[in-house]
Amino acid sequence: MEATIEVSGLRKRFGPAVALDGMSFAVAPGQVTGFVGPNGAGKSTTMRVILGLDAPDAGTALVGGQPYQSLRHPLSQVGSLLDAAALQPSRSARNHLLWLAHSQGLGARRVDEVIGQAGLDTAARRKAGGYSLGMRQRLGIAAALLGDPPVLMFDEPFNGMDPEGIVWMRGFLRSLAAQGRAVLVSSHLMSELEDTADHLVVVGRGQVIADTSVRELIAAASGDKVTLRTTARSEAMMVLARAGAIVAATDRDTLIISGLAAEKVVAQLSESAVPFSEVSAHRATLEEAYMELTREAVEFRAAAAEEAAR
Amino acid sequence: MSQGPGAGQPGLPALRGDVMRDVLHAEWTKLRTLAGPAWLLAATVALTVAVSAAATAAVRCPSGTACPVDTTKLSLTGIELGQALVAILAVLAISGEYSTGMIRTTLTAMPRRSAVLGAKALILAGLVLAAGAIAVGGSLLAGRVLLPGHGFTAARGFPALSLAHGPTLRAAAGSVLYLALIALLSLGVATAVRDSAAAIGTVLGLLYLFPIIATALARNEHWHRHLEQIGPMTAGLSIQATTGLRGLPISPWAGLGVLAAWAAAALLAGGLLLRLRDA
Amino acid sequence: MTAGTMTPYRPGQVTGRDGFAQLLRSEWTKFRTVRGWVIGMAVAVLVTLGLGLFAAGATSSSCQHDGGPVRTGSACGGTFAVGPGGEPVDDSFYFVRQPLAGNGSITVRVTSLTGLLPPANGNPPSNPAAPVDTRPGLVPWAKAGVIIKNGTSPGSAYAAMMVTTDHGARMQDNYTGDTAGQPGAVSPASPRWLRLTRSGDTITGYDSADGTHWTQVGAVHLAGLPSTVQAGLFTTSPEYSVISQSFGSTNGSDLPSQATAVFDHVSRSGAWPGGAWAGGYIGAAYAPGIAGYHQAGGRFTVTGSGDIAPVIAGHGNQGDPDATLTDYLVGTFAGLIAIVVIAAMFITAEYRRGLIRTTLTASPRRGRVLAAKAIVIGSVTFVAGLVAAAAAVSFGAQLGRGRGTYVFPASWPTELRVVAGTAALLAVTAVLALALGTLLRRSAAAVTIVIAAIVLPYILAVGSILPVSVTDWLLRVTPAAAFAVQQAAPRYPQVTALYTPGSSYFPLTPWAGLTVLCGYAALALGLALVLLRRRDA
Repeated sequence: MEATIEVSGLRKRFGPAVALDGMSFAVAPGQVTGFVGPNGAGKSTTMRVILGLDAPDAGTALVGGQPYQSLRHPLSQVGSLLDAAALQPSRSARNHLLWLAHSQGLGARRVDEVIGQAGLDTAARRKAGGYSLGMRQRLGIAAALLGDPPVLMFDEPFNGMDPEGIVWMRGFLRSLAAQGRAVLVSSHLMSELEDTADHLVVVGRGQVIADTSVRELIAAASGDKVTLRTTARSEAMMVLARAGAIVAATDRDTLIISGLAAEKVVAQLSESAVPFSEVSAHRATLEEAYMELTREAVEFRAAAAEEAAR
Repeated sequence: MSQGPGAGQPGLPALRGDVMRDVLHAEWTKLRTLAGPAWLLAATVALTVAVSAAATAAVRCPSGTACPVDTTKLSLTGIELGQALVAILAVLAISGEYSTGMIRTTLTAMPRRSAVLGAKALILAGLVLAAGAIAVGGSLLAGRVLLPGHGFTAARGFPALSLAHGPTLRAAAGSVLYLALIALLSLGVATAVRDSAAAIGTVLGLLYLFPIIATALARNEHWHRHLEQIGPMTAGLSIQATTGLRGLPISPWAGLGVLAAWAAAALLAGGLLLRLRDA
Repeated sequence: MTAGTMTPYRPGQVTGRDGFAQLLRSEWTKFRTVRGWVIGMAVAVLVTLGLGLFAAGATSSSCQHDGGPVRTGSACGGTFAVGPGGEPVDDSFYFVRQPLAGNGSITVRVTSLTGLLPPANGNPPSNPAAPVDTRPGLVPWAKAGVIIKNGTSPGSAYAAMMVTTDHGARMQDNYTGDTAGQPGAVSPASPRWLRLTRSGDTITGYDSADGTHWTQVGAVHLAGLPSTVQAGLFTTSPEYSVISQSFGSTNGSDLPSQATAVFDHVSRSGAWPGGAWAGGYIGAAYAPGIAGYHQAGGRFTVTGSGDIAPVIAGHGNQGDPDATLTDYLVGTFAGLIAIVVIAAMFITAEYRRGLIRTTLTASPRRGRVLAAKAIVIGSVTFVAGLVAAAAAVSFGAQLGRGRGTYVFPASWPTELRVVAGTAALLAVTAVLALALGTLLRRSAAAVTIVIAAIVLPYILAVGSILPVSVTDWLLRVTPAAAFAVQQAAPRYPQVTALYTPGSSYFPLTPWAGLTVLCGYAALALGLALVLLRRRDA
């Protein structure tokens, strides 16, 4: 079976609220695809529709060219982690994986394998109710790997991980993709995805806003901006603004200048004897690129955040 | 926002009365802002009256036979179903908090756990008394209307049901109290057991098993009587009897007292466990 | 974990067997790995057994024979005569008889049947020496006629052709057999002719209105009848009970009545050795001294009291309790509550924690998931129920007998049906609870609805507030009908008695009752399936 997910024209509303409004994208094997969007953009709903849990009002979602309901060994085709807290507290982690394995005709041996892969060996026989957030995430990942599927879907897998766990998760996801699997990771925190994802599907208000590689997205957002580091910030701002540039202050000593080439910036500052320590071509962070893209699509916006961003 | 000096002195502990008032207010807000409790109370009234009316309509006294029927008790039959709904309401009022995890929020905001349980009990009792009064009133009204048409006329010794009649008033008021006590019993059990399914199972077991076992031991007078005397439902429902009082296993008010003792014991046990356990 | 241990990915390495069996295994694993549910099942078994033993141990009999010391326990214990089929029987009547050695027949004409009843209020007279029967009247099943009986010991085989008060002429045999003949009461203006003919082991009964045109009522085969039997006239009259049928209660106690029949045109043919008629009372008289016979020419006037019929459960006195196997299954109600809670939780726990999504992702064919859950919880409950019911019935009966209770014997098939039926009742109730939990997704509502639907009708039925017509209807239409499967003693239409659910007599036959419950469960399961498929997870 091909390792792909194809979503086309999905529409769904919950009462008066529109959750999906024509969602279409595809996930290819061999790379990590980030599925990003503000809260309420429809990410979790899309994943549930792909897994056959929710029925869409219109459109199709296919895994390896087939609808989920028709898959013969579903967990051997698609592994997913939707909600790490979906556990019976009085059941041990190992037993949780055990009944899942039994539902696919697998046995305890496979269970112990994935427990090892997820790093849960010491904690596997404890009741799941006593697990920390991070351990629950690992358990969810173990469950997703149970059938060794070519397609993997994770909904906010970085939630609750400590820094060590985040590093592990990042490497883990990349290695899964390197094995030729299709990996879809949804998140709303760009910093997590920056070094993990190769491809991005950006969604907002139930639709796909952008479907590009990470490099292209960052390049588009970077534009022809220049980063300037200087201790005399206000003087530099005055000088450059007079020269017709648009200046944004992001830090105590960092400015981002658009509308003026790097050499011109250097020339202006030298003319006015404004000291500076660094001029470089600006590389937008994924976070900036994303904020730019989804500015219109954000549903929940705090009033103060606007001011702080200036 | 600034306050002038003396506008409120932080650090003074609130007076006891103030604490209870706030807790009551909070618990009342919790209950009234959910649709569920209102529906349950409405269903209690509706089902109680419906079952009472159905039971009354099903009994006829053909002319010429002596019918040993306690008409008041007959027209209050619906209480036996209404009590189940009241029990659900009480169980969900506390188990719902445990199942959603909201109990932690509650106990963080109101650390005096006995006050929380006491407030829940007071509010539940008040709501059930109100709904119960309507249900009992409706049942008696149905009985008053239906009975004469089925042969239970004043001429044959069955005066129309009326609250001016002492025993009937006692049966009616007692039935309303009965429902409230069932609610308190269920609240106590649910606080102790925490899981809603297990709690409602325990409450229904306490209510239904005593009369069943008493029937099975019908030939053993000693045990039969004892079980009917100590069972919460069997003892409590004796408040409804207006005839044949000497044949009852326990006198009406004493029976209601037995139920009250059960409710008190359940609340006590629940309250103790609430205080001692981790949230 | 280190990345170096990752092997290159090759798709298709890990696949398991497909199919329903795997789903069953998965659901079984789900059940057995939650300790609370397993313990709950054990508790259900224990309370079922425990309450049954309590019911057995809480009854005790006390008796005092002829002014001796009061005894308790197994030293007492009611004893009944035992009929040819093994059932406990009443066998008391006044017998005017002669031996019959071989084949032959006896014919009589009955011209009158009258009787005396005890006072209407059902209270025994305060003076023990005063006569009990004071007013004229007949109980519905007073019997008089001819009888051929294997000897005179109570419980022996017989066939009889008789007239009754309200049920016309009848042929009865071996206590449980009953066939109707010509209807109508007997009076001097309309007498009734009766004939019994014996040929080997077969006895045939005839009746007639005029003595010339005979109608065969029935022919019965009494196995192992010796060549010499006793045959002759008899009269008997069962106890008088004030039964207020419409309100399901018995007022007062059962007091003896008596009946007097007048026979004439007594003729015999066949192998009668001859001799005088011998009159005597068979069995234990309810009221000694009120039976006898008087012969004047060809006319016999025979007075008797008692009954020739099977004993009905539930008629034991305070000190002389009797019980059926059903009484030791009273714990079923408690076990049922526990099982309903567990079965509802089996599905609602998944909804509460969001586990249902994991389950439906692993097995997207929702119908199969529901079926697997139903099979697992139903099977576990069935096994638990079998253990509990078998233990309660056997240990309870043992304990009861030890404490002097007369435990009605039940045949092997009946006992098996009672035990397996109880287990089936519990299993189907579990499936019903599972279906309602799936429908409603809330455990408290599901548990309450199932318990109220099954237990409340029974409580209303034994609580004697509602008339029997209403409780009868309740016990036919609600899931509580399934308790009919626990009926251990058969119902005999020819015996006047109070057949109440409290002594395990239900309006429906055992399997019909269980079918009603199965219907509810199937309906709920169907609805649950539709909603499970249609709803978002």
